[in-house]
Amino acid sequence: MDFNSLWIILSALVLLLLAMFHVAYLTYAERKIIARMQQRLGPNRVGPRGLLQPIADVLKLIQKEDIIHPRVDRPIFAIAPLISLVCAASGLAFIPLWERFVLSNLNVGLLFILALSSLSAYGVILSGWASNSRYSFLGALRASAQVISYEIAMSLSLLSVVLMAGSFNLQDIVKAQLSTPYKVYLIPQIVAFFVFMVSALAETNRVPFDLPEAETELVAGYFTEYSGIRFAIFYLAEYFGMIVMSALAVTCFLGGYAGPFEIPGLPFFWFLIKIYAFLFFYIWVRATLPRYRYDQLMGLGWKVLIPLSLLNLLVTAFIKLLI
Amino acid sequence: MNLIQKILLLEIWKGLALTLKKLLFDRPVTIQYPEKDKVVPAPGFRGRHALVRDPQTGDTLCIACMRCARVCPSKCIYIEYEVDPETKKRKIKRYDIEALRCVYCGYCEEVCPVNALVLTEFFEYAGYSREELYFDKERLLKNWDEFIATQKRPYLNPFWKPRGIPEKYLPIKKRTFTGV
Repeated sequence: MDFNSLWIILSALVLLLLAMFHVAYLTYAERKIIARMQQRLGPNRVGPRGLLQPIADVLKLIQKEDIIHPRVDRPIFAIAPLISLVCAASGLAFIPLWERFVLSNLNVGLLFILALSSLSAYGVILSGWASNSRYSFLGALRASAQVISYEIAMSLSLLSVVLMAGSFNLQDIVKAQLSTPYKVYLIPQIVAFFVFMVSALAETNRVPFDLPEAETELVAGYFTEYSGIRFAIFYLAEYFGMIVMSALAVTCFLGGYAGPFEIPGLPFFWFLIKIYAFLFFYIWVRATLPRYRYDQLMGLGWKVLIPLSLLNLLVTAFIKLLI
Repeated sequence: MNLIQKILLLEIWKGLALTLKKLLFDRPVTIQYPEKDKVVPAPGFRGRHALVRDPQTGDTLCIACMRCARVCPSKCIYIEYEVDPETKKRKIKRYDIEALRCVYCGYCEEVCPVNALVLTEFFEYAGYSREELYFDKERLLKNWDEFIATQKRPYLNPFWKPRGIPEKYLPIKKRTFTGV
Protein backbone atom coordinates (compact mmCIF):
# COMPACT_ATOMS: atom_id res chain seq x y z
CA MET A 1 0.00 0.00 0.00
CA ASP A 2 1.52 3.28 -1.02
CA PHE A 3 1.62 6.37 1.10
CA ASN A 4 -1.17 8.13 -0.77
CA SER A 5 -3.89 5.58 -0.15
CA LEU A 6 -2.83 5.29 3.48
CA TRP A 7 -3.22 9.03 3.79
CA ILE A 8 -6.69 8.85 2.30
CA ILE A 9 -7.78 6.11 4.70
CA LEU A 10 -6.36 8.04 7.60
CA SER A 11 -8.10 11.26 6.65
CA ALA A 12 -11.35 9.39 6.01
CA LEU A 13 -11.09 8.01 9.53
CA VAL A 14 -10.42 11.46 10.97
CA LEU A 15 -13.39 12.88 9.10
CA LEU A 16 -15.66 10.04 10.17
CA LEU A 17 -14.73 10.31 13.82
CA LEU A 18 -15.07 14.08 13.74
CA ALA A 19 -18.46 13.85 12.06
CA MET A 20 -19.77 11.14 14.40
CA PHE A 21 -18.66 13.11 17.43
CA HIS A 22 -20.35 16.20 16.13
CA VAL A 23 -23.58 14.38 15.28
CA ALA A 24 -23.69 12.82 18.74
CA TYR A 25 -23.14 16.08 20.54
CA LEU A 26 -25.37 18.00 18.16
CA THR A 27 -28.31 16.04 19.55
CA TYR A 28 -27.16 16.91 23.05
CA ALA A 29 -26.64 20.57 22.18
CA GLU A 30 -30.04 20.73 20.54
CA ARG A 31 -31.82 19.31 23.56
CA LYS A 32 -29.88 21.50 25.94
CA ILE A 33 -30.28 24.74 24.00
CA ILE A 34 -33.98 24.24 23.31
CA ALA A 35 -34.47 23.38 26.96
CA ARG A 36 -32.79 26.60 28.04
CA MET A 37 -34.83 28.62 25.57
CA GLN A 38 -37.95 27.11 27.12
CA GLN A 39 -36.56 27.64 30.65
CA ARG A 40 -36.12 23.93 31.27
CA LEU A 41 -32.96 22.10 32.29
CA GLY A 42 -32.58 19.59 29.48
CA PRO A 43 -30.68 16.32 29.91
CA ASN A 44 -28.82 16.39 33.23
CA ARG A 45 -28.90 12.83 34.53
CA VAL A 46 -26.23 10.89 32.64
CA GLY A 47 -22.80 12.14 33.57
CA PRO A 48 -21.97 15.67 34.66
CA ARG A 49 -24.53 18.07 33.17
CA GLY A 50 -25.84 15.15 31.11
CA LEU A 51 -22.75 15.12 28.93
CA LEU A 52 -22.87 11.35 28.44
CA GLN A 53 -26.49 11.45 27.27
CA PRO A 54 -25.71 10.81 23.54
CA ILE A 55 -23.73 7.70 24.47
CA ALA A 56 -26.56 6.45 26.64
CA ASP A 57 -29.00 7.10 23.79
CA VAL A 58 -26.92 5.11 21.33
CA LEU A 59 -26.52 2.20 23.76
CA LYS A 60 -30.25 2.19 24.38
CA LEU A 61 -31.15 2.25 20.70
CA ILE A 62 -28.76 -0.61 19.93
CA GLN A 63 -30.32 -2.75 22.63
CA LYS A 64 -33.88 -2.18 21.45
CA GLU A 65 -35.76 -4.86 19.60
CA ASP A 66 -35.65 -4.45 15.83
CA ILE A 67 -39.33 -4.77 15.00
CA ILE A 68 -40.10 -5.61 11.39
CA HIS A 69 -43.77 -5.79 10.57
CA PRO A 70 -44.69 -8.94 8.56
CA ARG A 71 -46.42 -6.93 5.82
CA VAL A 72 -43.45 -4.70 5.00
CA ASP A 73 -41.44 -5.04 1.83
CA ARG A 74 -38.41 -6.42 3.57
CA PRO A 75 -35.41 -5.74 1.32
CA ILE A 76 -36.50 -2.16 0.61
CA PHE A 77 -37.43 -1.65 4.24
CA ALA A 78 -33.94 -2.73 5.25
CA ILE A 79 -32.09 -0.70 2.65
CA ALA A 80 -33.98 2.61 2.91
CA PRO A 81 -32.31 3.90 6.09
CA LEU A 82 -28.92 3.11 4.62
CA ILE A 83 -29.73 5.10 1.49
CA SER A 84 -30.70 8.04 3.67
CA LEU A 85 -27.56 7.82 5.75
CA VAL A 86 -25.14 7.36 2.86
CA CYS A 87 -26.66 10.21 0.88
CA ALA A 88 -26.66 12.52 3.85
CA ALA A 89 -23.22 11.71 5.18
CA SER A 90 -21.03 11.26 2.11
CA GLY A 91 -21.45 14.90 1.17
CA LEU A 92 -18.92 15.68 3.87
CA ALA A 93 -16.15 14.11 1.80
CA PHE A 94 -16.11 17.04 -0.63
CA ILE A 95 -16.07 19.84 1.92
CA PRO A 96 -12.67 21.46 2.37
CA LEU A 97 -12.27 21.50 6.14
CA TRP A 98 -8.88 23.09 5.85
CA GLU A 99 -6.54 24.39 3.19
CA ARG A 100 -4.78 21.03 3.15
CA PHE A 101 -7.60 18.78 4.26
CA VAL A 102 -10.24 17.76 1.78
CA LEU A 103 -10.98 14.07 1.48
CA SER A 104 -11.97 14.10 -2.16
CA ASN A 105 -11.05 17.20 -4.13
CA LEU A 106 -13.57 16.50 -6.87
CA ASN A 107 -13.87 19.14 -9.57
CA VAL A 108 -17.68 18.84 -9.50
CA GLY A 109 -17.89 18.61 -5.72
CA LEU A 110 -20.81 21.00 -5.36
CA LEU A 111 -22.77 19.21 -8.05
CA PHE A 112 -22.07 15.91 -6.32
CA ILE A 113 -23.42 17.17 -3.00
CA LEU A 114 -26.56 18.43 -4.71
CA ALA A 115 -26.97 15.08 -6.44
CA LEU A 116 -26.59 13.24 -3.14
CA SER A 117 -29.12 15.40 -1.40
CA SER A 118 -31.58 14.73 -4.23
CA LEU A 119 -30.90 11.02 -3.92
CA SER A 120 -31.76 11.12 -0.25
CA ALA A 121 -35.38 11.59 -1.35
CA TYR A 122 -35.18 7.92 -2.36
CA GLY A 123 -34.40 6.88 1.18
CA VAL A 124 -37.45 8.79 2.34
CA ILE A 125 -39.92 7.60 -0.25
CA LEU A 126 -38.71 3.98 -0.26
CA SER A 127 -39.00 3.77 3.51
CA GLY A 128 -42.48 5.24 3.34
CA TRP A 129 -43.60 2.88 0.61
CA ALA A 130 -41.99 -0.25 2.05
CA SER A 131 -43.41 0.32 5.53
CA ASN A 132 -46.92 -0.38 4.22
CA SER A 133 -48.42 2.08 6.67
CA ARG A 134 -50.52 5.12 5.86
CA TYR A 135 -48.66 7.47 8.17
CA SER A 136 -45.33 6.49 6.70
CA PHE A 137 -46.69 6.82 3.20
CA LEU A 138 -48.18 10.26 3.80
CA GLY A 139 -44.95 11.39 5.39
CA ALA A 140 -42.97 10.05 2.49
CA LEU A 141 -45.20 11.77 -0.05
CA ARG A 142 -44.86 15.07 1.72
CA ALA A 143 -41.13 14.65 2.18
CA SER A 144 -40.39 13.81 -1.41
CA ALA A 145 -42.52 16.66 -2.76
CA GLN A 146 -40.87 19.07 -0.36
CA VAL A 147 -37.32 17.90 -0.98
CA ILE A 148 -37.76 18.01 -4.75
CA SER A 149 -39.29 21.51 -4.73
CA TYR A 150 -36.72 23.04 -2.45
CA GLU A 151 -33.88 21.29 -4.22
CA ILE A 152 -34.52 23.58 -7.19
CA ALA A 153 -34.35 26.79 -5.18
CA MET A 154 -31.25 25.58 -3.38
CA SER A 155 -29.46 24.57 -6.57
CA LEU A 156 -30.29 27.89 -8.22
CA SER A 157 -28.98 29.86 -5.28
CA LEU A 158 -25.76 27.84 -5.25
CA LEU A 159 -25.50 28.26 -8.99
CA SER A 160 -25.01 32.00 -8.61
CA VAL A 161 -22.12 31.25 -6.25
CA VAL A 162 -20.69 28.91 -8.86
CA LEU A 163 -21.14 31.66 -11.43
CA MET A 164 -19.13 34.09 -9.33
CA ALA A 165 -16.39 31.60 -8.52
CA GLY A 166 -16.31 30.05 -11.97
CA SER A 167 -15.91 26.54 -10.59
CA PHE A 168 -17.83 23.63 -9.13
CA ASN A 169 -14.86 22.64 -7.02
CA LEU A 170 -15.47 23.65 -3.41
CA GLN A 171 -11.78 24.29 -2.75
CA ASP A 172 -11.75 26.67 -5.73
CA ILE A 173 -14.90 28.38 -4.50
CA VAL A 174 -13.23 29.10 -1.17
CA LYS A 175 -10.12 30.41 -2.90
CA ALA A 176 -12.20 32.57 -5.25
CA GLN A 177 -13.95 34.06 -2.21
CA LEU A 178 -10.66 34.89 -0.56
CA SER A 179 -9.52 36.76 -3.66
CA THR A 180 -12.56 39.06 -3.62
CA PRO A 181 -12.40 42.33 -1.63
CA TYR A 182 -15.07 41.14 0.85
CA LYS A 183 -13.39 37.74 1.48
CA VAL A 184 -16.87 36.16 1.68
CA TYR A 185 -19.70 35.69 -0.80
CA LEU A 186 -22.24 36.49 1.90
CA ILE A 187 -22.20 40.21 1.04
CA PRO A 188 -22.61 40.14 -2.75
CA GLN A 189 -24.84 37.06 -2.62
CA ILE A 190 -27.04 37.93 0.32
CA VAL A 191 -30.20 37.00 -1.59
CA ALA A 192 -28.76 33.64 -2.59
CA PHE A 193 -27.69 33.10 0.99
CA PHE A 194 -31.20 33.77 2.25
CA VAL A 195 -32.73 31.41 -0.30
CA PHE A 196 -30.13 28.80 0.53
CA MET A 197 -30.74 28.97 4.26
CA VAL A 198 -34.51 28.67 3.93
CA SER A 199 -34.31 25.80 1.48
CA ALA A 200 -31.61 24.09 3.55
CA LEU A 201 -34.07 24.09 6.45
CA ALA A 202 -36.66 22.52 4.17
CA GLU A 203 -34.15 20.13 2.63
CA THR A 204 -33.14 18.70 5.99
CA ASN A 205 -36.79 18.51 7.13
CA ARG A 206 -36.21 20.81 10.04
CA VAL A 207 -38.68 23.06 11.82
CA PRO A 208 -40.49 25.14 10.46
CA PHE A 209 -40.58 22.82 7.45
CA ASP A 210 -40.75 19.52 9.32
CA LEU A 211 -44.00 18.43 7.70
CA PRO A 212 -42.70 14.99 6.66
CA GLU A 213 -42.18 14.03 10.28
CA ALA A 214 -44.89 16.19 11.82
CA GLU A 215 -45.37 14.36 15.10
CA THR A 216 -48.71 15.92 15.81
CA GLU A 217 -50.22 14.77 12.54
CA LEU A 218 -48.25 11.82 11.23
CA VAL A 219 -46.86 10.05 14.32
CA ALA A 220 -43.29 10.28 13.03
CA GLY A 221 -43.68 10.54 9.27
CA TYR A 222 -41.81 8.22 6.98
CA PHE A 223 -39.98 6.36 9.75
CA THR A 224 -43.04 5.56 11.85
CA GLU A 225 -42.61 1.81 11.41
CA TYR A 226 -38.90 1.77 12.17
CA SER A 227 -37.44 0.91 15.53
CA GLY A 228 -34.16 0.32 17.26
CA ILE A 229 -31.01 0.91 15.31
CA ARG A 230 -32.79 1.46 11.98
CA PHE A 231 -34.65 4.36 13.53
CA ALA A 232 -31.34 5.64 14.86
CA ILE A 233 -29.92 5.56 11.34
CA PHE A 234 -32.69 7.84 10.10
CA TYR A 235 -32.03 10.14 13.00
CA LEU A 236 -28.33 10.08 12.24
CA ALA A 237 -29.07 10.89 8.60
CA GLU A 238 -31.09 13.94 9.62
CA TYR A 239 -28.28 15.31 11.75
CA PHE A 240 -25.67 14.47 9.15
CA GLY A 241 -27.84 16.37 6.68
CA MET A 242 -27.82 19.39 8.98
CA ILE A 243 -24.05 19.25 9.28
CA VAL A 244 -23.53 18.88 5.52
CA MET A 245 -25.87 21.77 4.77
CA SER A 246 -24.13 23.97 7.34
CA ALA A 247 -20.75 22.98 5.96
CA LEU A 248 -21.94 23.80 2.48
CA ALA A 249 -23.21 27.19 3.62
CA VAL A 250 -19.89 27.89 5.33
CA THR A 251 -17.94 26.86 2.26
CA CYS A 252 -20.04 28.69 -0.29
CA PHE A 253 -20.96 31.86 1.57
CA LEU A 254 -18.70 32.40 4.56
CA GLY A 255 -15.24 31.76 3.16
CA GLY A 256 -14.85 28.17 4.34
CA TYR A 257 -11.81 27.46 6.48
CA ALA A 258 -10.39 30.99 6.25
CA GLY A 259 -10.58 33.21 9.29
CA PRO A 260 -9.57 36.76 10.15
CA PHE A 261 -6.28 35.48 11.55
CA GLU A 262 -4.40 32.20 11.62
CA ILE A 263 -4.57 30.04 14.75
CA PRO A 264 -1.53 27.77 14.98
CA GLY A 265 -2.10 24.16 16.02
CA LEU A 266 -5.87 24.19 15.50
CA PRO A 267 -6.36 23.45 11.81
CA PHE A 268 -10.17 23.25 11.70
CA PHE A 269 -10.76 26.08 14.14
CA TRP A 270 -12.45 28.68 11.94
CA PHE A 271 -14.36 26.11 9.96
CA LEU A 272 -15.78 24.60 13.12
CA ILE A 273 -16.62 27.99 14.63
CA LYS A 274 -18.58 28.94 11.54
CA ILE A 275 -20.32 25.58 11.35
CA TYR A 276 -21.31 25.84 15.00
CA ALA A 277 -22.89 29.21 14.29
CA PHE A 278 -25.01 27.63 11.57
CA LEU A 279 -25.96 24.64 13.67
CA PHE A 280 -26.94 26.98 16.46
CA PHE A 281 -29.13 28.82 13.98
CA TYR A 282 -30.89 25.58 13.05
CA ILE A 283 -31.59 24.85 16.71
CA TRP A 284 -32.60 28.42 17.41
CA VAL A 285 -35.13 28.38 14.59
CA ARG A 286 -36.49 25.08 15.83
CA ALA A 287 -37.06 26.51 19.29
CA THR A 288 -38.82 29.56 17.89
CA LEU A 289 -41.03 28.88 14.91
CA PRO A 290 -44.19 26.82 14.52
CA ARG A 291 -44.70 24.47 11.59
CA TYR A 292 -45.80 25.77 8.18
CA ARG A 293 -48.99 24.57 6.60
CA TYR A 294 -48.41 22.36 3.58
CA ASP A 295 -49.83 24.77 0.98
CA GLN A 296 -47.86 27.63 2.53
CA LEU A 297 -44.73 25.53 2.26
CA MET A 298 -45.27 24.80 -1.40
CA GLY A 299 -46.30 28.41 -2.06
CA LEU A 300 -43.14 29.72 -0.43
CA GLY A 301 -40.98 27.32 -2.40
CA TRP A 302 -42.45 27.83 -5.84
CA LYS A 303 -43.77 31.40 -5.70
CA VAL A 304 -41.08 33.12 -3.66
CA LEU A 305 -37.82 31.24 -3.42
CA ILE A 306 -37.50 29.91 -6.96
CA PRO A 307 -38.32 33.24 -8.71
CA LEU A 308 -36.07 35.04 -6.23
CA SER A 309 -33.13 32.77 -6.87
CA LEU A 310 -33.72 32.86 -10.64
CA LEU A 311 -33.72 36.65 -10.54
CA ASN A 312 -30.59 36.62 -8.42
CA LEU A 313 -28.91 34.27 -10.87
CA LEU A 314 -29.86 36.54 -13.77
CA VAL A 315 -28.51 39.66 -12.03
CA THR A 316 -25.31 37.85 -11.07
CA ALA A 317 -24.81 36.71 -14.64
CA PHE A 318 -25.33 40.27 -15.94
CA ILE A 319 -22.86 41.74 -13.50
CA LYS A 320 -20.40 38.97 -14.32
CA LEU A 321 -20.79 39.82 -18.02
CA LEU A 322 -20.24 43.54 -17.44
CA ILE A 323 -17.12 43.18 -15.29
CA MET B 1 -48.24 43.83 7.73
CA ASN B 2 -46.68 46.04 5.15
CA LEU B 3 -44.26 44.97 2.45
CA ILE B 4 -41.01 46.04 4.14
CA GLN B 5 -41.93 44.07 7.24
CA LYS B 6 -42.73 41.06 5.11
CA ILE B 7 -39.49 41.17 3.13
CA LEU B 8 -37.23 41.67 6.13
CA LEU B 9 -39.09 38.94 8.08
CA LEU B 10 -39.41 41.32 11.01
CA GLU B 11 -41.87 39.17 12.92
CA ILE B 12 -39.65 36.13 12.65
CA TRP B 13 -36.67 38.12 13.92
CA LYS B 14 -38.79 39.30 16.82
CA GLY B 15 -39.54 35.71 17.72
CA LEU B 16 -35.91 34.72 17.38
CA ALA B 17 -34.88 37.61 19.62
CA LEU B 18 -37.29 36.40 22.27
CA THR B 19 -35.89 32.88 22.34
CA LEU B 20 -32.33 34.21 22.35
CA LYS B 21 -33.17 36.44 25.29
CA LYS B 22 -34.60 33.44 27.13
CA LEU B 23 -31.45 31.44 26.42
CA LEU B 24 -29.04 34.13 27.57
CA PHE B 25 -30.72 35.77 30.51
CA ASP B 26 -33.33 33.46 32.00
CA ARG B 27 -32.67 30.65 34.44
CA PRO B 28 -34.53 27.34 34.22
CA VAL B 29 -37.58 27.28 36.44
CA THR B 30 -37.41 23.51 36.95
CA ILE B 31 -37.66 22.42 40.58
CA GLN B 32 -35.12 19.65 41.11
CA TYR B 33 -37.13 18.21 43.92
CA PRO B 34 -35.40 15.49 45.86
CA GLU B 35 -31.79 16.45 45.16
CA LYS B 36 -31.40 20.19 45.18
CA ASP B 37 -34.64 21.97 45.96
CA LYS B 38 -36.77 21.37 49.02
CA VAL B 39 -40.49 21.72 48.70
CA VAL B 40 -42.22 23.31 51.68
CA PRO B 41 -45.95 22.68 51.62
CA ALA B 42 -48.27 25.58 52.27
CA PRO B 43 -49.70 25.79 55.81
CA GLY B 44 -52.79 23.64 56.00
CA PHE B 45 -51.52 21.16 53.43
CA ARG B 46 -53.30 17.89 54.13
CA GLY B 47 -50.65 15.17 54.32
CA ARG B 48 -49.92 12.19 56.55
CA HIS B 49 -52.43 11.44 59.28
CA ALA B 50 -51.58 11.73 62.95
CA LEU B 51 -53.25 11.53 66.33
CA VAL B 52 -52.32 14.42 68.58
CA ARG B 53 -50.39 13.26 71.62
CA ASP B 54 -51.70 14.96 74.74
CA PRO B 55 -48.75 16.71 76.39
CA GLN B 56 -50.14 16.01 79.85
CA THR B 57 -51.08 12.34 79.70
CA GLY B 58 -48.85 11.28 76.80
CA ASP B 59 -51.81 9.51 75.22
CA THR B 60 -54.30 10.49 72.54
CA LEU B 61 -56.92 13.16 73.09
CA CYS B 62 -59.56 11.02 71.39
CA ILE B 63 -62.84 10.55 73.28
CA ALA B 64 -64.23 7.91 70.89
CA CYS B 65 -67.22 10.01 69.80
CA MET B 66 -67.11 8.30 66.38
CA ARG B 67 -67.81 11.54 64.50
CA CYS B 68 -64.72 11.23 62.33
CA ALA B 69 -65.58 7.66 61.37
CA ARG B 70 -69.08 8.73 60.50
CA VAL B 71 -68.21 11.82 58.49
CA CYS B 72 -65.42 10.12 56.53
CA PRO B 73 -66.57 9.90 52.88
CA SER B 74 -64.31 6.95 52.09
CA LYS B 75 -64.95 5.19 55.41
CA CYS B 76 -61.27 4.65 56.11
CA ILE B 77 -61.34 5.14 59.88
CA TYR B 78 -61.98 2.13 62.12
CA ILE B 79 -62.61 2.73 65.82
CA GLU B 80 -63.28 0.29 68.64
CA TYR B 81 -63.89 1.52 72.15
CA GLU B 82 -64.84 0.29 75.57
CA VAL B 83 -66.84 2.07 78.28
CA ASP B 84 -65.29 2.39 81.67
CA PRO B 85 -68.00 0.97 84.05
CA GLU B 86 -67.20 3.39 86.86
CA THR B 87 -66.71 6.78 85.18
CA LYS B 88 -68.92 5.94 82.17
CA LYS B 89 -66.25 7.43 79.91
CA ARG B 90 -65.36 5.93 76.56
CA LYS B 91 -61.82 4.82 75.88
CA ILE B 92 -60.56 3.74 72.46
CA LYS B 93 -59.20 0.22 72.09
CA ARG B 94 -58.35 0.55 68.46
CA TYR B 95 -58.01 3.53 66.13
CA ASP B 96 -56.94 2.67 62.57
CA ILE B 97 -56.72 4.83 59.46
CA GLU B 98 -56.24 3.18 56.11
CA ALA B 99 -54.28 5.93 54.38
CA LEU B 100 -54.59 4.34 50.93
CA ARG B 101 -58.36 4.76 51.04
CA CYS B 102 -58.29 8.29 52.46
CA VAL B 103 -59.25 11.09 50.07
CA TYR B 104 -57.66 13.83 52.21
CA CYS B 105 -60.84 15.87 52.48
CA GLY B 106 -60.03 16.91 56.03
CA TYR B 107 -63.59 16.47 57.34
CA CYS B 108 -62.31 14.35 60.23
CA GLU B 109 -60.16 17.22 61.47
CA GLU B 110 -63.01 19.69 61.15
CA VAL B 111 -65.54 17.54 62.92
CA CYS B 112 -63.39 16.32 65.81
CA PRO B 113 -64.65 18.09 68.97
CA VAL B 114 -61.33 17.81 70.81
CA ASN B 115 -58.88 18.30 67.95
CA ALA B 116 -57.45 14.85 68.45
CA LEU B 117 -56.86 14.16 64.77
CA VAL B 118 -54.79 16.05 62.24
CA LEU B 119 -53.65 15.72 58.64
CA THR B 120 -50.06 16.87 59.04
CA GLU B 121 -48.06 18.81 56.49
CA PHE B 122 -45.66 15.89 56.13
CA PHE B 123 -45.97 14.44 52.62
CA GLU B 124 -42.99 12.17 51.93
CA TYR B 125 -44.45 8.88 53.13
CA ALA B 126 -44.66 6.64 50.08
CA GLY B 127 -44.47 2.94 50.92
CA TYR B 128 -43.82 -0.35 49.23
CA SER B 129 -46.73 -2.28 50.71
CA ARG B 130 -50.29 -1.72 51.90
CA GLU B 131 -49.25 -2.56 55.45
CA GLU B 132 -46.85 0.36 55.55
CA LEU B 133 -49.71 2.76 54.88
CA TYR B 134 -52.18 1.20 57.28
CA PHE B 135 -51.80 3.37 60.37
CA ASP B 136 -52.85 1.96 63.73
CA LYS B 137 -53.02 4.01 66.92
CA GLU B 138 -49.36 3.65 67.86
CA ARG B 139 -48.29 4.52 64.36
CA LEU B 140 -50.54 7.59 64.28
CA LEU B 141 -49.09 8.83 67.55
CA LYS B 142 -45.61 8.21 66.19
CA ASN B 143 -46.52 10.20 63.08
CA TRP B 144 -47.46 13.07 65.34
CA ASP B 145 -44.16 12.91 67.22
CA GLU B 146 -42.22 12.90 63.96
CA PHE B 147 -44.23 15.79 62.61
CA ILE B 148 -44.32 18.03 65.65
CA ALA B 149 -40.53 17.82 66.04
CA THR B 150 -40.26 19.84 62.82
CA GLN B 151 -42.84 22.48 63.81
CA LYS B 152 -43.03 25.62 65.91
CA ARG B 153 -44.99 25.22 69.14
CA PRO B 154 -47.82 25.86 69.80
CA TYR B 155 -49.09 24.25 66.65
CA LEU B 156 -52.56 25.13 65.37
CA ASN B 157 -53.86 23.47 62.23
CA PRO B 158 -56.17 25.75 60.18
CA PHE B 159 -58.72 22.95 59.73
CA TRP B 160 -59.24 22.62 63.45
CA LYS B 161 -61.22 25.84 63.30
CA PRO B 162 -63.03 25.49 60.00
CA ARG B 163 -63.68 28.67 58.09
CA GLY B 164 -67.29 29.61 57.34
CA ILE B 165 -68.66 28.37 60.65
CA PRO B 166 -69.21 31.07 63.29
CA GLU B 167 -67.04 30.41 66.28
CA LYS B 168 -70.00 30.27 68.68
CA TYR B 169 -71.32 27.10 66.99
CA LEU B 170 -68.06 25.23 67.53
CA PRO B 171 -67.69 22.75 70.43
CA ILE B 172 -66.28 24.37 73.52
CA LYS B 173 -62.91 22.63 73.32
CA LYS B 174 -62.46 23.68 69.70
CA ARG B 175 -63.42 27.27 70.52
CA THR B 176 -60.95 27.66 73.34
CA PHE B 177 -58.21 25.72 71.65
CA THR B 178 -55.01 27.68 71.09
CA GLY B 179 -52.73 24.96 69.86
CA VAL B 180 -50.54 22.22 71.24
